Amino acid sequence: MRARVPAVASAAAVAVVLALLPFGMSGYHQALGAKVATFFIAILGLDILTGYTGQISIGHGAFMAIGGYTTAVLSRDHHTNLVLTMLVAFAVCFVCGLLVGLPALRLSGVYLALATFALAVSVPQIPLKFSTYLGGSGGVQSSRTVSHLWLYGVSWAAAAILFVLAWLILRGRTGRAFRAIRDSEVAAVSSGVKLPVYKTLAFGISAAFAGVAGSLYVLGTNGFAQPSEFGIILSLQILIGAAVAGLGSLWGVLVGAVFVGLLPEISSSVPLIGSAHGQDVVFGLLVILVMVVLPTGVAGLFQRLRRLRAPT
Amino acid sequence: MGRKGRLLAAVAGLALFVSVAATAAFGAHQADPGITKTSIHIGGTFPLTGVASAYKTIPAAESAYFAYVNAHGGVNGRMIDFTVVDDAYNPAQTVSAVQQLVEQSKVFALVGDLGTAPGLATWGYTNQHKVPQVFLATGDSYWGFCAHKACQGSPKPYTIGWQPDYPSEGRLYGKYIAQNMPNAKIGIIFQNDAFGKNYITGLKQGLGSKSNLIVDQEGFNATDTTVTQQILALKAKGADTLFIVATPGQAIASLVTATKIGWSPTTFLANVSNIRPFLLAAAKAGANLDGLISSAYLESPILDANRPGMVLGKQIIDTYAPALSSDWAAGDSNLVYGLGVAWTFAYALQNAGKNPTRASLETALHSMNTTKNPFVYPGIAIQTSATDNFPLEQLILTKWSGGPDGAAHPFGQLLKSGR
Repeated sequence: MRARVPAVASAAAVAVVLALLPFGMSGYHQALGAKVATFFIAILGLDILTGYTGQISIGHGAFMAIGGYTTAVLSRDHHTNLVLTMLVAFAVCFVCGLLVGLPALRLSGVYLALATFALAVSVPQIPLKFSTYLGGSGGVQSSRTVSHLWLYGVSWAAAAILFVLAWLILRGRTGRAFRAIRDSEVAAVSSGVKLPVYKTLAFGISAAFAGVAGSLYVLGTNGFAQPSEFGIILSLQILIGAAVAGLGSLWGVLVGAVFVGLLPEISSSVPLIGSAHGQDVVFGLLVILVMVVLPTGVAGLFQRLRRLRAPT
Repeated sequence: MGRKGRLLAAVAGLALFVSVAATAAFGAHQADPGITKTSIHIGGTFPLTGVASAYKTIPAAESAYFAYVNAHGGVNGRMIDFTVVDDAYNPAQTVSAVQQLVEQSKVFALVGDLGTAPGLATWGYTNQHKVPQVFLATGDSYWGFCAHKACQGSPKPYTIGWQPDYPSEGRLYGKYIAQNMPNAKIGIIFQNDAFGKNYITGLKQGLGSKSNLIVDQEGFNATDTTVTQQILALKAKGADTLFIVATPGQAIASLVTATKIGWSPTTFLANVSNIRPFLLAAAKAGANLDGLISSAYLESPILDANRPGMVLGKQIIDTYAPALSSDWAAGDSNLVYGLGVAWTFAYALQNAGKNPTRASLETALHSMNTTKNPFVYPGIAIQTSATDNFPLEQLILTKWSGGPDGAAHPFGQLLKSGR
């Protein structure tokens, strides 16, 4: 499976639509749009790790927490420019991802999943331990809050930049190495791919993306970072988004992000079952439905459509 | 200018003034969202799902009270439309819910939002948009101190709490111990966050010169399911007085563990866990509750069943929220809490005038003075002023008696949390 090379035209069309969309929307919907972009970035990161390199992670909420807290703390203590904090979050989480990727070299499959799960549960608790600097249960409030339009603009701009970055990484040598590792580690090694380097790198890049998503997530929460925002459900949402997206398609990621970002909002207005618990039921049912109907995700659907269009 | 010109100018000026004034007056009525001649739309965020969903009976009781008010003509002829939104106690969801209520549903005010972290995530937003954020369901003292003082960058005049705050409660226990148990050896088990630490600060203030009576403090995390280590450590350090600062889950665990290891200290319990159904559960699991000291600021559906407030409360629950009747019968004080908050909101709204605005509501909220709330403990006054942003500041101490089927009985006088 090669990375789908996005036609410049369709990419440009989507970009234009996204750029014009907020001006017809209420602030609340702009915030929802920003949420989709945030999930887009996180799912993109996870896709690089899981879809392209074959390493599972249900711990990306942890990297989002690190990125989010980086933004909140820098803003609170040093009044740092918010976009700059996002760059710092990218760098910090890249390093954290490398640090996680190193011991992860020894793990795979369900064991790697469990280890990343442990990360997702424990990392958000750290601010409770070091509450003097990290706010404890009272959270950390950034010194500046942003308007819905600002958040929409910056999150989609970041999504676009990281999308291009992901595309560049994946079409090159690094991407080929990732896919080789996913398809067969033995074959990859015998082709000269240094497993430790590329596996750790995948974790680093993936975490860096999640870190930026975390910054945007906290900015979307009025700049307030608090442990209960980063529960395990967040990591699961990113995983679900990646599964819906399908492995190995960058465009599918957009669908996955829309699914996870908007569905909870929409399912709450479904009549009869759209109550507090009904919302969760609807979401769960839809996830199951998608997995049954599209086991290879949206990416698989795109592939089938392409095959239909090009008669052999 | 000739006489005619001056007259013309005067008339023009008057006309201009009148039209501007009329627009302003008319505009003032139209300016605030969520209010029409016949209805007022308010909203609140609560954990209807998730770890804190035990508190979902609070908004249910509030809705029941508003239904009762509406059935009796509403407030100044306006029906109260209360939208309850779930935030699963996740601040990220609270922000989304509040934005939705304020920007999409265009509510007049937020009432009863539950939780400290959810409150801290949204109070910047609500104050920025000048949306009244009324009677937050949490006892942290932020909501009382930050009306005029800058907290996290700015004062938060639009946010106000309701219940007596935690540090003040801790102070009262401290004073009680200093006066009545001057040789106590106090061991504290506490939730290791701002909630727990603020209680301890209050306790130490109340103990004053006797804070050296504290022999040990053992913390636990909100997500811990057992507290055995902490209880064992406190017993080992020789404490004969136990102070439990925990929400119901860990409170029950502490009480049961203490009894099971054969330890019977004089126990004080933070009133967030002084909820009869949970204490009965602790007793059922083996805890010895007799002598347990806590506090209350609400009437009890069991002990005060014949008082007019509880008779009314039972009627309201049976009529407008019958699914909660069994909860009421078990003495769930969350229901009384909800009724008490809703009564206070209706009272403030009434005082906001025949044509309330957000500004007039805020004025009414900061000039409350009543002892007529039938759901709070008799004699407790709800009082606020320009300098006092704590509506309830009185508590009565309670002591459990009657074993596993008993209740927390009030004793002594109403105490004011000294500030």
